[in-house]
Amino acid sequence: MNNHYLSKMKVRLVGFLLLMFCISVTSFGQTQSVRGVITSEGEPVPGALVLVKGTQRGTVTDIDGNFSIEAAAGETLVVSFVGYTTKEVAVIGGQTTYNVTLDLSTSDLSEVVVVGYGSQIKKEVTGSIQSVNGKELADLPVSSIAQKLQGRLAGVQINQTTGRPGQGMNVRIRGQLSVSGGSAPLYVVDGFPITGDINSINPDEIEDISVLKDAASTSLYGSRAANGVVLITTKKGKAGLTSVNLNVFTGFQQVPEQGRLEMMNAEEFAQFKKEYYEDAGQPVPDVFQNPAQYRGKTNDWYGAMLETAPITSYNLTVTSNKEKVNTAIIAGVFDQKGVVRNTDYERFSLRMNTDYAISDKVNIGVNVAPNYVKDNTPRTDGSRGTGILFNALHTWPVMPIYDEEGELTFFNRFPANTGNIFAYPNWLRSADEITNETLVVSVLANTYAEWKPIKGLSVKSTFNAETRNSRFFSFNPSTATSAINVAIPTVAVSVRDDIEDFSWLNENIVTYDKSIGDHNFQVLGGFSNQTFRRDRTRVQADTYADDRLPTIQGALNINRGGTISGVEEWSLTSVFSRLTYNFKSKYLFTASMRADGSSRFGADNRWGVFPSTSVGWVLSDEGFLADNPTISFTKLRASYGVTGNNNIGNYTSYALVNNTINTVFGNTIVPGAAITSLQNNNLGWETTSQFDIGLDLGLWDDRVSFVYDFYTKNTTNLLYAVQIPQESGFTNFNDNIGEIKFWGHEFAINAIPVNTSNFRWSVNANISFNRNEVIALADGIDRVYGQFHITQVGKPFGQFYGLNKLGNYANAEDLADSPKIPGRSTVGSIKLEDVNGDGVITFGGDNDDRTIIGNPFPDFVYGIVNNFTFKNWDASITASGSEGNELYMRHLFSTANLDGVFNMVRRARDRFRSPENPGAGIFGTTVGGGNVTGVERDWPNSNFVWDASYFTIRNITLGYTFKKLPKSVKSARVYASGQNLWVFTPYWGGSNPEVSMQDNGQGDGGNLSPGIDLAGYPVPRTITFGVNVNF
Amino acid sequence: MKKYIIGLLSASLFLTSCEDFLTVVPETQLSSATFFKNQNDFEQAVNAAYSPLRTITNDRSWLLSEMHSDNTYYVRNVLFGAVDNQEDLADFSVPESNGTTANVHVLNQWRQDYLIIARTNQILALIDEVNFDAAVKGNLKGQALFLRAYAYFELARYFGSVPLHLTPVAVRSEAALDLSPEPAVYAQIETDLVAAIPLLLDKAAQQPGRVTSGAARTLLANVYINQKKWAEAEQVLSPVISSGQYTLMASYDMAFSENAANKNNAESVFEVQFIEGAAGLQGNFMYQFMPRPISAAELQPIMGTNNAQPIDGEGNNIPTPDIIAAYEEGDLRKDASIGYVFLAGAFQDPKTLPYIKKFESAHSQHNNHGMNFPIYRYAEVLLFMAEALNEQGKTAQAIPLLNQVRSRAGLAATTASGQADVREAIFKERRVELAFENKRWFDIQRTDRIQEIIVPFGQRVVANPRAYYYPPIAGAVPRNNVFTNLNKFYAYPAAESDLSPYF
Repeated sequence: MNNHYLSKMKVRLVGFLLLMFCISVTSFGQTQSVRGVITSEGEPVPGALVLVKGTQRGTVTDIDGNFSIEAAAGETLVVSFVGYTTKEVAVIGGQTTYNVTLDLSTSDLSEVVVVGYGSQIKKEVTGSIQSVNGKELADLPVSSIAQKLQGRLAGVQINQTTGRPGQGMNVRIRGQLSVSGGSAPLYVVDGFPITGDINSINPDEIEDISVLKDAASTSLYGSRAANGVVLITTKKGKAGLTSVNLNVFTGFQQVPEQGRLEMMNAEEFAQFKKEYYEDAGQPVPDVFQNPAQYRGKTNDWYGAMLETAPITSYNLTVTSNKEKVNTAIIAGVFDQKGVVRNTDYERFSLRMNTDYAISDKVNIGVNVAPNYVKDNTPRTDGSRGTGILFNALHTWPVMPIYDEEGELTFFNRFPANTGNIFAYPNWLRSADEITNETLVVSVLANTYAEWKPIKGLSVKSTFNAETRNSRFFSFNPSTATSAINVAIPTVAVSVRDDIEDFSWLNENIVTYDKSIGDHNFQVLGGFSNQTFRRDRTRVQADTYADDRLPTIQGALNINRGGTISGVEEWSLTSVFSRLTYNFKSKYLFTASMRADGSSRFGADNRWGVFPSTSVGWVLSDEGFLADNPTISFTKLRASYGVTGNNNIGNYTSYALVNNTINTVFGNTIVPGAAITSLQNNNLGWETTSQFDIGLDLGLWDDRVSFVYDFYTKNTTNLLYAVQIPQESGFTNFNDNIGEIKFWGHEFAINAIPVNTSNFRWSVNANISFNRNEVIALADGIDRVYGQFHITQVGKPFGQFYGLNKLGNYANAEDLADSPKIPGRSTVGSIKLEDVNGDGVITFGGDNDDRTIIGNPFPDFVYGIVNNFTFKNWDASITASGSEGNELYMRHLFSTANLDGVFNMVRRARDRFRSPENPGAGIFGTTVGGGNVTGVERDWPNSNFVWDASYFTIRNITLGYTFKKLPKSVKSARVYASGQNLWVFTPYWGGSNPEVSMQDNGQGDGGNLSPGIDLAGYPVPRTITFGVNVNF
Repeated sequence: MKKYIIGLLSASLFLTSCEDFLTVVPETQLSSATFFKNQNDFEQAVNAAYSPLRTITNDRSWLLSEMHSDNTYYVRNVLFGAVDNQEDLADFSVPESNGTTANVHVLNQWRQDYLIIARTNQILALIDEVNFDAAVKGNLKGQALFLRAYAYFELARYFGSVPLHLTPVAVRSEAALDLSPEPAVYAQIETDLVAAIPLLLDKAAQQPGRVTSGAARTLLANVYINQKKWAEAEQVLSPVISSGQYTLMASYDMAFSENAANKNNAESVFEVQFIEGAAGLQGNFMYQFMPRPISAAELQPIMGTNNAQPIDGEGNNIPTPDIIAAYEEGDLRKDASIGYVFLAGAFQDPKTLPYIKKFESAHSQHNNHGMNFPIYRYAEVLLFMAEALNEQGKTAQAIPLLNQVRSRAGLAATTASGQADVREAIFKERRVELAFENKRWFDIQRTDRIQEIIVPFGQRVVANPRAYYYPPIAGAVPRNNVFTNLNKFYAYPAAESDLSPYF
């Protein structure tokens, strides 16, 4: 029998059927009837096999775990079930009831792992794949799958870059990077590579997640697989069982005081201003002459933006698997208010999964998952002037939030002679009054029909569709602004952005399993077509007569530049095949190949081929290891494969004409058009070839299991808009260039230090070391500059780049003797390293004094998950960390602006004031104005770069399961869960050391510019209480 | 194995039939495959070739050629940093290393000029392959040739030798070209203009605002004068003067486009076209020319807007005491060109500061105005002609032309007589007549008077910073590297040098 590729459920089902067959041949002796219930973790185990040792007598448990069997005293019952440790119980004369508790098996080698286009018994897997069961993630009170996976996967770095509800998860498998294509993995939900947002999927719908890391595992996904693939399988009914599960949690979120960026209070700020004018020899403005008047009167603008916010989730799961129908229905409501004023995220989700066996040979199935997400986040994140939080952070603490009547103030501006060059609206009003709402309705549907004409052969056709309708509405009334220096009333602006996405995929797959003696084969072949279409209509209107009516027709002006309608399409056609072979499940071999034709590639380079091969050797099945008392399992794996990244934009290969370059003659506007990009008919995918070697080791009956992988991969043909001299009239040429090398080590260990019937402790820990180096860029180009970064041949990607701070010019001699900036350096100003040795400090061009000043990538990342069960209690602790990564504290350009135009970090109190009073050496003199202070502020330098290593206690959950329950309730559990409980970090620039600015089109964020801290939405600490009831 | 072969065969059949499925052309955007096919396409392409002129005149020219002279300076605001790009131009301290500079304005001027060149190259390379009305085609070609010549003339004056792109770039390897020597660049400019003149319509026939044959002649004259080809300049300018299509406006302030009705007036030879409103074709140079910080109340009377807002930062292109002093007694142009505004928030003493008034015109929305910016006016045609004649020794013929300009300004006839005196009179007249029209630096440069004029100017700034709008604050003095880079040409932009193997 060879069922290697059946799913876990199918294995159980087949086992069940076989046993039914066995029962008919049981014989009877001098026996009595014994009965009992088989349970595990308080839940009945249906379908468990109960055998009388050494006989043909056996039975399986029913839906409620009950069994009844004839057995004589002195005989032994053997109770077994896939995934559990087999137990033996002696039959004693006179005792007729034997309730047996099965323990989860410490060894999961017999488990089935979801792989690309199928599943495989874990023992026989030759690729690098890590699976997580949905159950393990159930208690974490967060909205998205990626948040739940933090710390659990070796080789997968997951950072929460902003606390905006439902957003900002950055998932990177094996450090993969692209210059301009995306770096997010491909998400495949029930076989369908989705085009929408993975974060909008209710995590409670998930049965199992498989993360495919090496090329042998991913290459069947061809031109989209280079960033790794995450396979998500949604819930199905358990064999023979109907189950109703209600999971509810509610709680609150808060931004801890500890870890917030320390800013000056009102008195400190006034003191700073006073000193500023004194040091400059200027008269101190009246309002700052007596700083003590502000004592205890601080207006903490940032703190006022934050609030304690509720979070609630309801999930009802009904599954049924009876006779020919297997159904799962999951209904969820998730409601999260944000910790920043007037932000919230709601999700209503429903999923109906049904499989139906029409006959022994034909199965059909339909999954439908409609989903509604409402997200309201006024412009919290962003740079100075655009992000409300950043603006609040650096607003003068002497400016009142509330007026004497306790109402929010409207507008704050101090007299011009106080250095208050920017006017500040009330940011609380900004948060309250500006609408920024996105409503998303999406439906994900999978259907299939499968025909098994003969044993081992399956022909399967699937049709999948995804629609996503997103309606964005933003309205900035005339009474509010998210920007500094905008007078109120301002011009009211509305934006409506409606995006309709539709994608369908048809796949046709044939698989054939065959065993000849000890030779086991599987052949898979298929072809598929997928298309995507996006229709977008964006209308921007401004100058409203009445803020209460933000309709388009209510606007006096339609902003043509901001009004767009457009269509984006792509299509992908593929053929793929795989051959799997093993001999005695000991020598393992897999080869696969996919060919992708993509509309995104240039006309002369339309098809890409992505082959892979892998081998495995189960050493522990060899004679020399077979009876080793310590080593219970050993497998060596090796794989090589090629994958692609087609995230290169839809029409990148075309020369596009911009026909809105209008011009005017006299008073007549005339249309204008020009070619704005260059054509490249050879444009293609990014290619990643990856070699992986791994070791799986089980010790002491697999009580300790260990996985190690080493990988090395080269990404070539990077899609890059190669900058070309603009004497050509163009800024860049889209081309496939360069090479990046990645390599790394991953270690994962699973251990069960204690495993008794009352107390069980299991530990899962992982650590990953990921490295990269740029081998080549385009010919003639050895570096690409970002605003604060450089990507340079021979160095790791995206390094922080700027001037190296040596200190401050201590005194006149130091200034005279050191290289300086002509016209700008003074005593006490920032002293920079003369890297090129030309005697002056220069900034800009290839031969200036800039150098690499920091690395946004960690030396290693790690995670550890501890699970404990003690009688009815359970507990888990999840933690993860990152070591050696640095952040660019970008917000210092405002929060440490030494001209005193903004509120400042508290550390700026201890700045250079005179040679006798040089301060802590972090911040320089304020004297000389922008000409002097501007160097420190505007020239990227090492003063901005700080260690952002962290260790975060992600989650602690404590639960209690009630065993004595009314008949109608199978089990009930209450639990308390705390998320993001503590962050240990030397980073002082803000509460979230995982922050990384998303690309804002201004040089902050983006692939070449990682690790920018612009004081975005903080990640809250969440405490919730939940109930989980099974009926 | 047989199965595998069948699979491959069926797969290959499948591949050939799905090219259609994989050909997805942009639905909502034109691409090269569908453009440059008819007259309308070329008309639009020519219109787009004018477009960079707005950016150049609104944002760059005055920095590179007016504030980089003794005519204007900046109003130091010590609270603002990141102003060295502008200050370096005014202070003649543009940093240079290995023949390149990181100055952002130099870079953007370069890029905008080459944008014009690329767009016109595209037109000129393809227009003869498409059949349509010959006269229309000629007029379009003439405009494209003029714009290309104008862009190269700007580059030649700013940089000297530059890459000479005459055909559109199609692949990456063609993007960079070696520098062509300055004379070769001038030769190409002349070729283009000589070809353009007969193709273009004259002012009477051409749509107002577009390039005319008169504009092409004036530009060519300027090109000749820059090379001291005086006779050629005289020859090419004569028809402009004799055409009768140009006159001086009755009063100096009417020479500028002020309001919509006065755009492209009888004095206008070529001006860059703007229009106020939401079409994105507006200018805001008036705002850039304001001393700061200026409050809404201080700004409103100048701009006449109904939503005036304060502006912070450092004010640029502020008339120097030198230009204010350069006007003769009774010169009507002085008050027409320079206004004064009181800034309560200024650190300067006095807080009343001059600003460029000559383009001033009321408009409705803050930071959005529609005045055109002059490139060539008939007054300059007269002064060009006067100069060309005087340099050929025809001083007597030159003087009446000079006086024509002076008389409109309310001034008596010039007292200069000999060739050298008249040369100097014309030079001075150009300074005041064309003040703030971005001519001053080029006049100093082409007459080789950089050392003679800029060095003493620099000494005056350093000796008396308060007069040059430095605030009376300790440390607010000219930086120690001012007036150290008096080169005739700007260094090549570093960002372009990084990408080019040739410089």
